[in-house]
Amino acid sequence: MPSLLHICQWIYATHFSTAIRESPYWFPIIEGVHTLGITAVVGTIAILDLRLLGLVMKSEPVSRIARQVLPWTWAGFSVMFVSGVLLSIAEAATNYFNWAFRIKLVLLVLVGLNPLIFHLTIYRKVNTWDVANVTPTRARAAAFCSLFLWASIIVAGRLIAYVNM
Amino acid sequence: MFLIVFCHWLAKTHLGIFMRDSTYGFAVVEMGHLLSLAVFGGAVLMVDLRFLGYGFKSQSVSQVAQELLPLTAGGVIAMFISGFLLFLGGPVRYYHNPAFRLKLILFVVALIFHFGLQIVVARRGASRSSSSWRLKLSAVVSLILWCAIGLAGRAIGYV
Repeated sequence: MPSLLHICQWIYATHFSTAIRESPYWFPIIEGVHTLGITAVVGTIAILDLRLLGLVMKSEPVSRIARQVLPWTWAGFSVMFVSGVLLSIAEAATNYFNWAFRIKLVLLVLVGLNPLIFHLTIYRKVNTWDVANVTPTRARAAAFCSLFLWASIIVAGRLIAYVNM
Repeated sequence: MFLIVFCHWLAKTHLGIFMRDSTYGFAVVEMGHLLSLAVFGGAVLMVDLRFLGYGFKSQSVSQVAQELLPLTAGGVIAMFISGFLLFLGGPVRYYHNPAFRLKLILFVVALIFHFGLQIVVARRGASRSSSSWRLKLSAVVSLILWCAIGLAGRAIGYV
């Protein structure tokens, strides 16, 4: 079984990876999409998180906001996932040693676990607190974690280039 | 030209020298610029999507715009402040950067478009029950402008 480092080096050496990495157009375009795509994922989920914290759109029930915003968050995430994978392929060997990249991956797992736990627990009873003046503590905790984790992911992502220098 | 003199003056201010020389100053402010972009961009996206008849359909166009105003208005202010601080790190250099010039021009156009046209269209459109073509067109123009501003901003580093 080859090591992860060997797999990354193998990916890095492929035509596909090299083509993206060395192209004066492809890498900047994919990276530009990835950077602007942040608004579609983080910006939209932030509205739901801020609603859970009681800071925005208080007139609307939580579940209604969730239902209407999440499809766009998912659409944005698919763009981010594809562009992110392409960037990771292009920089597979160098990213392996990059601590900012590693931290970003860990944070991405955590930011996925957070809503999973939220939806399986406190959100199950959302109809009891949908229009409450103050949302349950666990809901607010999930919202805060979400905002904090996404902000950290953005920072870690930006640091990748700095750490490489 | 007055602008270039002003840029030279800005470069010599305390804040300008700090932004130029500080090891972490630029990085931290740039993170702030990126984080405010996330919030601002997401809010503008949801407002324009509502103009197009998508997203927060349970509320009217003007309701959505109003509810998200703290994020759009606050966001653009945060973008401007962080952007200005970044600019202070090298005013003369940015002055000569074509991507930066384009970004500023587009930014002014976007603001004029938003305050001069989009709001007017929204107020007229809100009085009718369905989205008119004017509402949708203004949303498309708005989205294109803000995307272009974002891309121009990204291009600054490459040009």
